[in-house]
Amino acid sequence: MKKKIPSIEQSMQAKGYSRRDFLYFCGVAAAAAGLSTTSLGQVVKAFETKPRPPVVWLHFQECTCCSESFIRSTHPIVADIIFDTLSLDYTETLMAPAGHQAEKSRDDTIKNNQGKYILLVEGSVPLGNPGFCMIGGKSAEQILKDAAAGAAAVVAWGSCASHGCVQSAKPNPTQATPIHKIIGKPVINVPGCPPIAEVMTAIVTHVLLFGKIPELDSQGRPKEFYSRRVHDTCYRRPYYDAGLFVESWDDDAARKGYCLYKMGCRGPVTYNACAVTKWNGNLSYPIQSGHGCIGCSEAGFWDNGPFYQHLGAFPGFGIESTADKVGTVATVATVGGIALHAITSNIRKQKLIRENMEESVTVHPFKGEGGADVEAAEAAKPEETKGGDE
Amino acid sequence: MAANPQTIPYRRIYVWELPVRLYHWINALCILLLCISGYLIGNPQKIFAANEAYQQYWFGWVRFTHFAVAYVFVFNFIFRIYWGFVGNRYAKWDRFILYRWDQWKELWDTVLVDVLQARVYGRKIIGHNNLAGFSYFVLFHIFLLQTITGFALYSSMSDAFLPRLFTWIVPLLGGDAWVRQWHHLFMWFFIVFTVIHLYLVFYHDYFEGRGTTSSIIGGWKFERDDNIKR
Amino acid sequence: MARIVVDPITRIEGHLRIEAVVEGGKITDAFSSGTMVRGIEKILRGRDPRDAWAFTERVCGVCTTVHALASVRAVEDAIKISVPKNAELVRNIMFCAQYVHDHVVHFYHLHALDWVDVVSALSADPQATSDLAKSLSNYSKTSVGYFSDLQKRLKSFVDSGQLGIFANGYWGHSAFKLPKEVNLLAVAHYLEALEWQKEIVKIHAIFGGKNPHPNYLVGGVPCSFNLEEVNAINTEKLNLVGKIIKDAMNFVEQVYLPDLLAIAGFYKDWAAIGGGLPNYLAYGDLPTKGYGFPDGFKLQRGAILNRDLSKVYEVNGADENEIKEYVAHSWYKYEAGDTAGLHPWKGETEFNFTGPQPPFENLNTDGKYSWLKTPRWKENPMEVGPLARMLVSYAKGSQEVKEVVDEALKKLDVPVTALFSTLGRTAARGLETKLAARWLKEFYDELIGNLKAGDTNTFTRDKWEPTSWPAECEGVGLTEAPRGALAHWIRIKDRKIDNYQLVVPSTWNASPRDPAGKRSAYEESLIGTPVAKEEEPLEIIRTIHSFDPCLACAVH
Ligand code: HEM
Ligand code: HEM
Ligand code: NFV
Ligand code: SF4
Ligand code: SF4
Ligand code: F3S
Ligand SMILES: [Mg+2]
Repeated sequence: MKKKIPSIEQSMQAKGYSRRDFLYFCGVAAAAAGLSTTSLGQVVKAFETKPRPPVVWLHFQECTCCSESFIRSTHPIVADIIFDTLSLDYTETLMAPAGHQAEKSRDDTIKNNQGKYILLVEGSVPLGNPGFCMIGGKSAEQILKDAAAGAAAVVAWGSCASHGCVQSAKPNPTQATPIHKIIGKPVINVPGCPPIAEVMTAIVTHVLLFGKIPELDSQGRPKEFYSRRVHDTCYRRPYYDAGLFVESWDDDAARKGYCLYKMGCRGPVTYNACAVTKWNGNLSYPIQSGHGCIGCSEAGFWDNGPFYQHLGAFPGFGIESTADKVGTVATVATVGGIALHAITSNIRKQKLIRENMEESVTVHPFKGEGGADVEAAEAAKPEETKGGDE
Repeated sequence: MAANPQTIPYRRIYVWELPVRLYHWINALCILLLCISGYLIGNPQKIFAANEAYQQYWFGWVRFTHFAVAYVFVFNFIFRIYWGFVGNRYAKWDRFILYRWDQWKELWDTVLVDVLQARVYGRKIIGHNNLAGFSYFVLFHIFLLQTITGFALYSSMSDAFLPRLFTWIVPLLGGDAWVRQWHHLFMWFFIVFTVIHLYLVFYHDYFEGRGTTSSIIGGWKFERDDNIKR
Repeated sequence: MARIVVDPITRIEGHLRIEAVVEGGKITDAFSSGTMVRGIEKILRGRDPRDAWAFTERVCGVCTTVHALASVRAVEDAIKISVPKNAELVRNIMFCAQYVHDHVVHFYHLHALDWVDVVSALSADPQATSDLAKSLSNYSKTSVGYFSDLQKRLKSFVDSGQLGIFANGYWGHSAFKLPKEVNLLAVAHYLEALEWQKEIVKIHAIFGGKNPHPNYLVGGVPCSFNLEEVNAINTEKLNLVGKIIKDAMNFVEQVYLPDLLAIAGFYKDWAAIGGGLPNYLAYGDLPTKGYGFPDGFKLQRGAILNRDLSKVYEVNGADENEIKEYVAHSWYKYEAGDTAGLHPWKGETEFNFTGPQPPFENLNTDGKYSWLKTPRWKENPMEVGPLARMLVSYAKGSQEVKEVVDEALKKLDVPVTALFSTLGRTAARGLETKLAARWLKEFYDELIGNLKAGDTNTFTRDKWEPTSWPAECEGVGLTEAPRGALAHWIRIKDRKIDNYQLVVPSTWNASPRDPAGKRSAYEESLIGTPVAKEEEPLEIIRTIHSFDPCLACAVH
């Protein structure tokens, strides 16, 4: 039953591309990867022999919007991915079989491709109780560990799998946990709620095109898409720099598209490709449609304070206590304390004050020779010249 | 000149060397500017909305001020750290780091006399008293934290060497949002510190009459002769 | 007495498990269980009510936006504001776009493989398929070449031995009835729909910044209109919306509906299977005179009991005696005891997982067996969804609805009672999509008219600041999600969320039985379903899929 699996070159031929097209494609791919032409041969070799890599896509605590985002990809389109790029053997969202037959698809792929399949994970795993997420009578944690053990690469789709997302927001009732904390393997984190479709497809194709995983930052995110803040690439940035801000929804400034910073925009603290790659076929992104960024690709963004307030709330002080409120209260209290201290010291230390006063001497107006004369020098002088400025 | 029996002889003591004084005022000015520009970065004010963006760059200037002054602040601070090793006895680090038991005793003494006012008279120390020294020590740490969080934030906008060193802070604190949050909160520490600091300067000047205020300008303090151990 | 377990139910959203008892080739009892919980209702407590839309939107990325809509409405109801006309229109446009997207994706990508045998398409005659396609509609892609290219692609895919999502499907099952040509046509449109669906959601990206999970706003919509500005929604963007709507109407009328009717024609036996509950509930939506005037809704509000279309009952979400949730068979506990029923304003969400601990073979269906609560309307189990909506509007005399429903019944040559079935549910969804696509155009035209008249307002400002709110208030936001009646209830205290409860369409349909032992829609609909091969539960997933399950929604 096992048939010969066609390589990428063969599938390109099947789609009507010539060998020349194929070499050109490899050249572009290699150039984009920054490879020198001498290493072109290797890329060609890889593409000639590589079958569609088997993929297992697991779903745990999630809302499936990462899958939904994925199928919105405009380049490449998802049909091409399913037919030509990957062998999507298990994904609860799209696969034909259900129940035991579905589980068979998953288990066969893992068993027959040890060390060779790609594991994509959507959703967090609840460690609070295995009963919080069960599939086929097994706990999410178990399924993840079993699938991760033999995977060639593990990708965490979205903020759920990368950071825990909404279900891990305080008080995290199910102890929703990102997958990198569960499996002992490096994980490619692709945060975002959801991630941008083309970013998702670019990350899986990066591996196929360039034969290696994209370079990651210290948080496991591909630098290709997460190295810039939304704010650094936002087209409204000139308004920020000019100090032109939307002050209220749909005000004049909003209708002119000014900066949304004061409406709580999290662009200045959010690393994502939204402002460049944009959404839904480079069409728009939250800020372009008038709402601030809520920081959906940042860890714990749900608990970084109310969305319409620029500063986060301080835990334990309630949702309205920003650093400025805390600081103002502290300053006012300090000034109050000082006033009190000034009054009480003047009372407590009356004796000291009196002594100091007594010790003090009267100074004559400047005479021009040796500086101010003090009472010591003055003692000899006539009575009537004493006093003056006490 | 014969001493009058009522007259108490005072001596001038050179406490704050010029580098310390310069450091102090550069620092004070930097903090003032950083607080103002920082506060504005956090709470931008509306101005001249009638102008087009290309006609103005005011928020850009506020940020530029913040970053430029931040560098001055940091190098000034580094200089003071250095001076803590080579400066005079009043500038040395052992004035800030309470490593001897009697320093803590003296600190408690100051608390009793100046803060709780449980006693009226206290010892007088020429340089910082140990409570002041300790609070400056805490302040220096907040300087450090402010520098770290500041450069961590700056690292995403700059390819320069110094900010790049702090990139790793961001994930450590739970993302940019939290780095900003702390950075913003520390600003209030400086504001509160300055309020207390100024009060204490006036307080000591008034109750002790040793020229505290002017000392940070001219460097000299005045001490009763009979208080000076030789 | 075999107990068939289907877990995971795939091609749905979320984690659903069905256990069915089969006797003599028919299902005699069934249990539906949601096996994943997140506790969003607990997470919402203590937060800013104006943020709730973003949290609840993440309840589901498939019906994304509907929870955001229910949420902003609940808050607006609590603080007593209404939104400007433009905001209502934009919300309606986004609503209809969501319907069209979700229903098309459901039909082709989640449901079709229950009826279409992909393997049989390999041996279809492209010429005959082309003839068939031409006879069904005026869609542009009907050439022989188109179908033979597709078939080639499919063949080489199958020959690769890597069947991907099609591996281990029920190909060749005796319950597949379509001629080869219809199978090939359906596979072609599976791919067409996959490519097209990403276009319709661009409407969300224009008004809400992205899809999935576009942005909403308490008091209006976050986008601004400005016809003298490139930095706001201007003519260019409006033109794009207009074009997408045109394409959507074309796709729905030239591809989806003809396919639906063609396929349904071969499965008329399913018009007598999977009927289930006789009660239907719809909150209605698509206001034309404001959310406060349900009479002006395009989709009507009401309840039908015992399939009696001559009477539609009033429904009131704020009446504490109408809607209640039970947890007798759910992994929760109530302070007043687990047989109590709570109106959502008084609702509680307290986990109480009683097992079985995984790994396990079977659930303990005598006790608690699901993470869904069990909602009841005046103690009645209700079916919600496109069928309920079409029935309620039909029974209330909506001309538009009557027209499309009657036309389809005539085409299929079946009586009205055929609607009470698996096939009826699937058909109602398609008919509703046709209306939603038309309404998209209507609302769009109205929006243009309003802008033309000089009204560009999109936001009601007066109650934005929480300081302007009463110390305590409560609200309910009713809407119709693609899968049925959706409502959020909120209690606000000291400007923060004191309690927040969601009762979601799939909660109504997929819940476990109530304390009285009455089954909810999924369980009831499976009773009597024939099962040809116990190891290939194709018939079970047909009926379950006809509801378009969403379990992340249902549990939240
Ligand atoms: C006494 C010292 C300082 C004070 C009081 C201060 C205060 C502030 C404040 C209040 C903010 C606004 C935070 C917010 O709410 O978003 C801020 C922003 C910032 N500060 Fe400082 N800061 C100080 C030193 C520094 C230093 C040493 C650096 C180092 C480069 C620095 C770099 C930054 C940066 C990069 C920002 C963010 C600016 C932006 O994103 O536009 N700050 N600062
Ligand atoms: C108008 C404003 C200020 C005045 C009049 C002032 C005055 C003084 C005086 C009189 C001293 C010597 C205190 C002593 O004898 O212990 C001093 C020391 C000091 N002040 Fe200020 N100060 C001002 C602002 C600030 C600010 C804004 C800061 C920092 C937040 C600051 C930080 C310090 C430090 C760290 C010392 C210890 C000096 C050293 O040993 O390096 N001062 N200041
Ligand atoms: N059930 C459900 Fe939803 C819908 N439609 C929500 O309200 O799918 Ni995710
Ligand atoms: S990351 Fe966000 S969008 Fe993706 S599954 Fe999680 S909640 Fe949904
Ligand atoms: S809208 Fe947001 S991301 Fe854009 S410039 Fe303003 S603050 Fe930055
Ligand atoms: S909210 Fe998310 S989608 Fe982009 S603009 Fe902000 S990261
Ligand atoms: Mg609920």
